[in-house]
Amino acid sequence: MYAFPRYSPLATSYCLILLLATLSCSKQEAPLYQEQILALGALVDISLWGVKPEAARQAADAITADFNRIHTTWHAWKPSELTRINAQLVTGHAFSVNPEMIPLLVRAHALSQASDHLFNPAIGQLLARWGFQGDEPKGPPPDPAVISALISQHPTLDDVVIEGDHLRSTNRAVQLDVGAIGQGYAVDVAIAHLRKLGVENAMVNASGDIRVIGRHGNRPWRIGIRDPRGSGILASIELQGDESIVTSGTYERYFDYAGKRYHHIIDPRTGYPAQGTLSVTVLASDTATADAASTALVVAGTKDWHRIARAMGIKQAMLIDDHGTVHIDPVLAKRIRFETTPAPKIELSPPL
Amino acid sequence: MPRKLTTTRDDHLIAWLTALAVTIHIAESALPSPLPGIKPGLANVVTIAVLIRYGWRMAAWVTLLRVLVSSLLLGSFLSPTFVLSLSGALCSALVLALTYIVAQRLPGAGLSALGYSVLAALAHMAGQFAVAYALFIPHPALLHLLPVLMSAAVIFGAVSGIIAQAMLTKAGA
Amino acid sequence: MKFSATRADAVVLVAALALLAFLYIKFWGDATRGEQARILVGGKEFSVISLHQDQHLNIPGALGVSVLEIHAGRIRFADSPCHGKQCVHTGWITLGGEVAACLPNRISVQVIGREPRFDAINF
Repeated sequence: MYAFPRYSPLATSYCLILLLATLSCSKQEAPLYQEQILALGALVDISLWGVKPEAARQAADAITADFNRIHTTWHAWKPSELTRINAQLVTGHAFSVNPEMIPLLVRAHALSQASDHLFNPAIGQLLARWGFQGDEPKGPPPDPAVISALISQHPTLDDVVIEGDHLRSTNRAVQLDVGAIGQGYAVDVAIAHLRKLGVENAMVNASGDIRVIGRHGNRPWRIGIRDPRGSGILASIELQGDESIVTSGTYERYFDYAGKRYHHIIDPRTGYPAQGTLSVTVLASDTATADAASTALVVAGTKDWHRIARAMGIKQAMLIDDHGTVHIDPVLAKRIRFETTPAPKIELSPPL
Repeated sequence: MPRKLTTTRDDHLIAWLTALAVTIHIAESALPSPLPGIKPGLANVVTIAVLIRYGWRMAAWVTLLRVLVSSLLLGSFLSPTFVLSLSGALCSALVLALTYIVAQRLPGAGLSALGYSVLAALAHMAGQFAVAYALFIPHPALLHLLPVLMSAAVIFGAVSGIIAQAMLTKAGA
Repeated sequence: MKFSATRADAVVLVAALALLAFLYIKFWGDATRGEQARILVGGKEFSVISLHQDQHLNIPGALGVSVLEIHAGRIRFADSPCHGKQCVHTGWITLGGEVAACLPNRISVQVIGREPRFDAINF
């Protein structure tokens, strides 16, 4: 016989109280500590989960110091250790550098090589000529003759010889600009620092270059990816454990001159802004790799992005071309959720 | 010599009506509730009928006795349910009494069973909620439930009111 | 059956419905979208403002005054003394967690919701 479930009022009332209690718990002030700092010419958001406020403040201060130190060391146009290096590189003689700078240079070199030098931190001169080494790029674009003269010298990090803490350039056209990796590198340094301080759940977001460790309480970290064609959200993804996400977009920095738009991602092969791509999003375990790769893939474009991503060891990436079509690998396609209606046209690539 | 306990006619009436309300209350508590905290509150029908027929004192007696007796029978006396139930009942009895007295003095302010019932249900829910908030879970998130709870109160209050109205029409004929 | 609802009944019912409307607006009306925006100047909190009151705000920054516009639950940079106007191009932001910033003027605006949909926005 079917027995109708009986609810005693006592049980009901405890249910009510339990329900209300869970409701109120889930809404309770999360043990989330957030701090926003201005460093590296960027807004840096630090989110720490489950860290006591006092310890969190100290961690945030430590990271702020990291970011500021990296900012002042690597600034490409305000007097910094990097501008001093650039001044010496043209001499062709060996000179000593701050040993702290070597790891990033070695790292950048490896990534540059893997990307067929589409990510190329040696084209500082080109970037300077385009005015992208400046707070407010505004054109006009450089003389075509200047551009072709600069690219004909093929400056790359292959030309920079690192011996201990000494640098020497075999190519006088080499001028370093770590704009496409420095921010990601700083995020990595910050995360390493947090780990050393015992923080297990955190997110560092430097102007959209994001790395997470652990989780946001009982759920992963939720990331929205901005639509490169508008101001809304294109897609969302959940990150946890140790993952980075970086998007490079042609909409981030640009100037309009004589009715034409010139963006900041310069193709080192042509000397002109890369064509055909709106943005590239890369997931990787470290932010420096994701940062460099996203820039390289914008330059690579729809034709070569897959090959370059593989060469750089990238397993998850997405490229959005000028027509708004999303080119994406199957692994990322599976975990990303598109938020726009209608959903964008998607072209699935072979696995990376 | 043992003193004889004298009872009035009103006492008997209260006892009978309370018994009826308790029966409804207990029967209803055996029903599954769609959402904790939301009950039809059909025992309210008796309260409203008594209010209109016999005045607010009688109604208050019936309401408070109903809560007390039901809790004793159900074994929830002094439990959180009882506290919530009692605070709701007190609040509703208070509002009914005040409205009733005002309605008596003020011509044109007369309420039918429908109006009383909706008022009683709202007062019951508000009182219960206030106590739940103050005693059990003083968290702002609870306030999110308030609109739903109050909506249910209005709906069930209206239903009870219509039933009470029907009962009175039949009985009063 | 004669149904004898009175005028006072009608008053009670109307008042009850008005109360419900009030409760829904008060406790539910603002639960989905961002309700407030936090304005930071030079990384320090300048103010937290509601997105439900349409207004223009003049925020003094490093270069000069940036104008923030709040309209229909959204906020944007209407004007800023920077050259690139990157902040103005960002357009309206409304979702919890969304950020618009004028770096040259060191002003940033972040929409804060009850539970932001995203912990961070990648761009």
